[in-house]
Amino acid sequence: MTEMQISSARNINWIVHIILIISAVVMLVPFVWMVLTSLKTTTEATQIPIHFFPSAPSLRGYIEAIKQSAFPHYYMNTVFTAIMKTVFPVIFSSMAAYAFARLRFPGSTILFVLIISVMMVPNPVFYTPQYMMMSDLGLVNTVTALWITSLISPFATFLLRQFFMTISKELEEAAVLDGCNPFQIYWHIMLPLVKSALVAIVIIQLQWSWNELQWPLIINSSPEKMTLSSGIATLVSMFGTDYPVLMAGAFMAVVPMIILFFIFQKQFIEGIAFSAHKG
Amino acid sequence: MNSRSRYVWAYFMIAPTLIGTLVFWGWPVLQSILLGFQQSENFGLVNHWVGFANYEKLFRDAEFWQNLRNTLYYVALFVPVTLILSTIFAVLLNTKIKGLSIYRVIFFLPQVTMPAAAAMVWVVLFAQDFGLINHILGTRVAWLSNSNYAMIVLVIVGVWGAIGLNMLLILAGLQGIPKSLYEAADIDGAKRFNKFRYITIPMLTPTLFFTSIILLIGATQIFDSIFLIIGKTNVALPSVRSLVYAYYQNSFVYFNPNYGAAIINVLLLINLLLTGIQFAFQKKWVVYD
Repeated sequence: MTEMQISSARNINWIVHIILIISAVVMLVPFVWMVLTSLKTTTEATQIPIHFFPSAPSLRGYIEAIKQSAFPHYYMNTVFTAIMKTVFPVIFSSMAAYAFARLRFPGSTILFVLIISVMMVPNPVFYTPQYMMMSDLGLVNTVTALWITSLISPFATFLLRQFFMTISKELEEAAVLDGCNPFQIYWHIMLPLVKSALVAIVIIQLQWSWNELQWPLIINSSPEKMTLSSGIATLVSMFGTDYPVLMAGAFMAVVPMIILFFIFQKQFIEGIAFSAHKG
Repeated sequence: MNSRSRYVWAYFMIAPTLIGTLVFWGWPVLQSILLGFQQSENFGLVNHWVGFANYEKLFRDAEFWQNLRNTLYYVALFVPVTLILSTIFAVLLNTKIKGLSIYRVIFFLPQVTMPAAAAMVWVVLFAQDFGLINHILGTRVAWLSNSNYAMIVLVIVGVWGAIGLNMLLILAGLQGIPKSLYEAADIDGAKRFNKFRYITIPMLTPTLFFTSIILLIGATQIFDSIFLIIGKTNVALPSVRSLVYAYYQNSFVYFNPNYGAAIINVLLLINLLLTGIQFAFQKKWVVYD
């Protein structure tokens, strides 16, 4: 390269850096503003001209949000729902995926197509009939209704079947000779081999469940049965324009998932990128 | 192991997923289609068959067409903007730049952020009097209650949430382009722009196509941000109300599950068509690979 080319490459590098830094700052503005506003007083939050930093940072917003709303309930319901919607789909999907990948049986193709075809249906299509079902069972306004319809995952079944199919059959053949039944082979031999895919599914399910709004909003209306998502959506009607309280609630709702994301960055990014390719 | 006992094990292992799918997802799809042809009392306790009456009413309802237009308008703005910005960032990050992993994490952060929580801070940022955005722009725009601007707000919020993931998908596509193509072009003395135009863009087309279909399908289902940022009492709601929002409103606010079902079944049809297109092209491109 000539000297001129090198210096122009260096300039371009600088321009790229500046564009990326500005964009990254823009992406972070909502998070920064959430935290700053949550520490302000009610009047300072809506002051004109704008106060960027709280003059006397206070945790009043956080205390009010926890004391005045059903926040502890939101938390417990969200955590419990997320666990149910993660543990059961992982177990059930991996079992089914193994059977579809390895045990040839009559009707396997048609049953598999049947299961994965529901991935094409937009979620709201399910909600009215599911609501009617919950109503028949007397489960409207219960924590059970938050997770009972999501104990299985066609997407996880599809993904894990792909993974099981790439594993060589030799290990299993040895186990068959030792007298293992298919469930033992699945549990002791196959499951540990797809650990990375299981981690991806755990993350996808946790994230979907934690952030989901529409179903919790439809099925439960009493505050003690709400999740963080549907709960903070109703904070607005309780606190109106008391923005520090609203921002404190929002911050407490997003923080657990963000901490998990920072710890498991690689798994999060790969897992969610996987799920985008589900078609 | 004989085949009889293998069948028994197989059915045992697929049973939870199969039964769960049929009961909670399969049957509801059929029921949603049935509800569209019925008139129910007491939210589904008593159902009368009414044929196409719900759809006739729907297609004569100006509000439905407005909602369909709103949805398509959102899709038409959100998908290209997300795709273009994601591609630009992917190209910038594909230059062996320092700090790739930090940018990746920052751009991905909105993806793991609860939409309900993000919506609340966007309301504050876009506020007319004390909002940071008007302050920086030096304007006094009523972003959230002006029917011309409300849609732009929804697009900005949507793009903010979607860039991280799509940038990564496109970056993976860029890294899959064989280096030898660029080396050959270098030998021929090709300019930077021409390499981008004649190698990068054509090689990236399949990735861009699939990314845009995934974005399209997701965007047709917009609900959260309308519900949270615009809200039911906002004068700008009619100019941004989507099909899913109308479905929610008719089913669970006006308690007319049949009219709601008719609306959501239209969306089901649109989504099946989009998925069909995706499958058709997937086959074509897989063969060429």
